[in-house]
Amino acid sequence: MIDIREQEEMLIALGNMLEKKISCYAIGGTAMMLKGIKDSTLDLDFVFDKGEDREEFIAALRKLGAKESDVVIVYGIKENTPIMLELGKARFDLFTNKIITSVFSQNMKERAKEIHEFGKNLIIMVADVHDLIIMKGVTSRQKDIDDIITVFKKSRIGWNIILKEAEEQVKLGNEKAILSIGEKFEILRNQKIIDVPLSFLDDLFNLLRKQVKGKSKEKKKRS
Amino acid sequence: MRTAKLMKVAQELEGIYTVDTLCKRLDIGRTRAIYLIHRLRKVGMIKTTYVAGNKRLYFISISNKLKGISFTDKINEATTNQGIHLSGANIHFIHGREPSYEEALVYALKQDSVRYIIASLGLFRKIKDWSSLYSLARKEENSFVRKIAALYDVSRLFVKKVRKMPKRFVNLAMKEKDNGWVYVIDKLYSRDFENIEKRWKVHIPLNWGDLEEYKR
Repeated sequence: MIDIREQEEMLIALGNMLEKKISCYAIGGTAMMLKGIKDSTLDLDFVFDKGEDREEFIAALRKLGAKESDVVIVYGIKENTPIMLELGKARFDLFTNKIITSVFSQNMKERAKEIHEFGKNLIIMVADVHDLIIMKGVTSRQKDIDDIITVFKKSRIGWNIILKEAEEQVKLGNEKAILSIGEKFEILRNQKIIDVPLSFLDDLFNLLRKQVKGKSKEKKKRS
Repeated sequence: MRTAKLMKVAQELEGIYTVDTLCKRLDIGRTRAIYLIHRLRKVGMIKTTYVAGNKRLYFISISNKLKGISFTDKINEATTNQGIHLSGANIHFIHGREPSYEEALVYALKQDSVRYIIASLGLFRKIKDWSSLYSLARKEENSFVRKIAALYDVSRLFVKKVRKMPKRFVNLAMKEKDNGWVYVIDKLYSRDFENIEKRWKVHIPLNWGDLEEYKR
């Protein structure tokens, strides 16, 4: 676990170590910390647009003494797992656009308006709260549900944005997106933890129905 | 109270308060509220700003622990006039170094917002490194240097103790005039600064009334 200040110091050192300007997107706990929603995190998650930028980032991390860590232990055998490095108490998870099942879409990039520059060369754009919810919504870990609740308590949510992005995620290949998000929100509504509008759940269900119809048509065509 | 406990309190309380509103929120007395503010400040989770009547506003957030400075803070630093200060969400932070006033000026002009332009005029009093300002402006669109020169002329009318713009900067800005008229903010022009507009061929999105606050 590292706290806000340790994370800041680490990123400043990293920014000074980088030889050229690199930009990436902060997601997960790191984004929540930069937005002041959370005070500590286990891992620092970053998404890179270009593979070369990630390589450059890894080289700088190694110079600071980071060691490679075993992805299978944390994520199991899955596609789109990150490159993982450990530095002190922190673990860096470095993705390129695809994050396990989610895709860091163009809309998500455009919504990431908050910028933090660390040291000389590291520019971090922080993912929007709606996208944090979506990315946490498609996983199945309890800590992600806790994070969703925390984000809800601290921010104003536009349900339409979540709806559109869930649809976009399906288009980009994350077929379970609508189902997983719908399931989580329904549980949170039933337990009265978050006040989820019923119309939002209905719209999600309609999207799911549309998705299933599309799939069955595709199957018929093939057969 | 331990730091972890204070963190929880700060997370729970996140927002802007006066001593009185904090008393109401927690249903505690003034002395206890002031003590809590003192403890939160000690662990770096409070930022204080002053509003009209020299009233203190306390912004409680765990993100205050970050040492980074936002460009908005830097722009506000240039003027003591509360009426001109920018408020609202900061979205660009610099960590590990102090952003320069030159960078802050370029950032302010890029926001395409009248509020930012008004606040940025105070920055001209702080600008010393005109060559770095020029090189930063050159990285932006073609007529950026000219826009800075035009706004500098406006700032000379309202802001006290603005240093003279170097001749070299004037000459370089004048060179850009061949590119024709430009807007600082699209479709906004001035009725009151026509002379400056003609001099630089830049439409200024301000009138006298917008800058009254600088005269106070």
